Amino acid sequence: MAEVLRREVVYLITAIVTVIMFIEFFFIGTWNVAEELRTWATIIANISLGLGAVRLLSEHAKNIQKRRAGVWPFSIWLWIIFLITILSGLAGYVTTHDAMKNPLYNWLFKWPYTSLGQTLYAITGFYIFSAAYRAFRARNIDAALLLIAGCFVILTNAPIGEVIWSGIPVIGRWFLDYGQVPAMRCFLIVAAFGMLAYGFRALLGRERGFYGEVVGE
Amino acid sequence: MAIIVSGRGMALVILVLSYILFYVFMYLGRKGKEIPVRTLPPMAAIPEGIGRAAEMGRPVMFTPGIAGDLNDPTQGPQVLAAISILGYIARECARTGVKLDVFMPIPTALPLTEETLRTAYMAEGKPEEFSPDMIHFIAGQSPYLTAVLGYFQRERPATNFLIGGFYYESVVMGEGGNTIGAFQIGGTANTHQMPFLVATCDYVLLAEELYAAGASISKDPDILGCLRGEDIMKFILIALMIVGFLLGFARNPVLINVLRW
Amino acid sequence: MSEEELTFWEKLARIDRRVFYWILFIGLMIPFIRPIVFPIAISPSTRDLYEGIKEMVEPGDVVVMNIAFGVSAWPECMPAFCACTKLLIKEGAKIIFWGAYYDVDMTYQEVLRRCEDYFKDLKYGEDYVYLGYYPYQEAAVAQLAASIRSIFKTDNYGTPLDEIPMMKNVDKATDIKLVLSGDTGDVCDYYIRQWRIPYGTPVAEIGIAMLGSSYMPFYKSGVLFGMSVGVRGGAELEKLIGEPGEATIRMGAINISHILVVIAVILANIGYFASRRK
Repeated sequence: MAEVLRREVVYLITAIVTVIMFIEFFFIGTWNVAEELRTWATIIANISLGLGAVRLLSEHAKNIQKRRAGVWPFSIWLWIIFLITILSGLAGYVTTHDAMKNPLYNWLFKWPYTSLGQTLYAITGFYIFSAAYRAFRARNIDAALLLIAGCFVILTNAPIGEVIWSGIPVIGRWFLDYGQVPAMRCFLIVAAFGMLAYGFRALLGRERGFYGEVVGE
Repeated sequence: MAIIVSGRGMALVILVLSYILFYVFMYLGRKGKEIPVRTLPPMAAIPEGIGRAAEMGRPVMFTPGIAGDLNDPTQGPQVLAAISILGYIARECARTGVKLDVFMPIPTALPLTEETLRTAYMAEGKPEEFSPDMIHFIAGQSPYLTAVLGYFQRERPATNFLIGGFYYESVVMGEGGNTIGAFQIGGTANTHQMPFLVATCDYVLLAEELYAAGASISKDPDILGCLRGEDIMKFILIALMIVGFLLGFARNPVLINVLRW
Repeated sequence: MSEEELTFWEKLARIDRRVFYWILFIGLMIPFIRPIVFPIAISPSTRDLYEGIKEMVEPGDVVVMNIAFGVSAWPECMPAFCACTKLLIKEGAKIIFWGAYYDVDMTYQEVLRRCEDYFKDLKYGEDYVYLGYYPYQEAAVAQLAASIRSIFKTDNYGTPLDEIPMMKNVDKATDIKLVLSGDTGDVCDYYIRQWRIPYGTPVAEIGIAMLGSSYMPFYKSGVLFGMSVGVRGGAELEKLIGEPGEATIRMGAINISHILVVIAVILANIGYFASRRK
């Protein structure tokens, strides 16, 4: 019985919800049911935030319990920071209805979090630099064309490109506006069909990963 | 009296046609009709990568990226395809005795990942070699990125698999792997990350190749059938584009009007 | 082959990446110490974004500014986002801020701080409102288009929407003049699919540079009425609104970094071809 509930009822709910959404999108009529379902989906998504946090904390609690080498001190640190952040945010929300008004919560986000996040994002630039140096070599015709197009696009994005030669932004913009657009459209269409197929398999109950089953079981 | 919302009729037709094709080929696949998928070089390179790790005595790293969870319509299929490929990689690692580390930043995919690995090791007759400690769960993009970079410097994996839905971590991880001389196989359907994986990885699965790779490994007739159906739909769209192109020269709007129904 | 046996050309093709990191690091500091300014040409997508806002928005129109970028993307998205905010305020629009990132509160506060001069004459609730966070999911975006009150019963501070003057007759996509989505990933796709296509609400993207090529097909086909791409887009918008700011200063660093990349690629290829010829 539990197995039936786990599989068949889940398939049924998925199928019914999908059909309701289809009818609402394609056919004329007022479907409060569809709107209601989307509201429930949003509420469930909000709950999953909490589930994600619980999962994170339980994983790190296991690390602490097992004294996992090299990891468990950081797991303790995570717990400490988590508790400080959530308590300060709740304190701000309870007192002023705005978590950001709590000075500690505000400080935690404004200084450590922002600085660290922006630093890591900035690292991307350095890595792109070394990736370009290593990868942009004209080993064959395709690579040479990619290299030339890439250089034009790079210099189009920088105002200095136009100073070097007025033709650079013209050619670079052609690559951006016309050269790569057909390829991007192909990827978009392919991705759309991939989503269609995924949704169809989920609708029929044949998308095993969607239901948490392992292929081969 | 109109029943279908204006402007969405043709979308409904394409949707229904796609579903019919998917169902037909899924049915034929389940009946035993073979649906071949061309050999994808990145998939053929997986044993090579794992063999390299075995020779060097270093581990293999797999990560599916942080782009979204399983229920996301655009990222979920990528994660599931990545986990299918992980099952194959895990079996190869179990067979060759290579250590596998999986960095999983998506909490909803953790149980599936664990079960996939457990099943793979059991299938190779080495259930004792599986340990939940093989999976490193790190939520949050920046912590996940720094954890992977730190792992690269400490453990120096011989082979990295960067397959799934990625955001900007793709270029950092890809280049970080190159720093340590790792053999890298990447794959994503996110168009904004494809160039970075192409530049940093030795082999790359682009867009639908990711889904096809997952299907070719699992040999799931449903997924293979849908792939065949998608291919047929693409041919239909190409035919429509050619007809539209020719009608465009004649300035005939009939196809445009039909598509806007 | 040991280091001593490599020829000059082979060394040129194998320069240690740390050398480049230092050169880049030092090079990026120069324009912040001594600004390097070149004229910025306006790209068609940014001009269409600017002109589109000016043509479509009339005083009293309600627009949505979607914050879907985190603090790490502030350098790329914030200048353009603030420039659009200032432009909308100049056009007399009423702005709804909401966001799909968990640090949306911070980003909203930062927008207020950077546009302080513009907001000081505005009244919260009458000219602008902040509704807060909604989950990063297409279902939420779809439901916002059908009914804002089904997702946000109150604003971020607990005031019911019915008590907020500017929200009195605003509840669905057809009540919104346009949507500007500042994001780093897929969220603009959600607005295209759930707002633009079904309801015809104009949508524009304010994104990081990586998204420029991804959203170009939508812009070229008219689905997006405009697009601001990365720091360059921010600098162009600052020029268009007549207030050069952070993005304009950063263009100096963009110039240096891009030139260095091209030089590095050229050196790599010279080394590659010269060592191959041997």
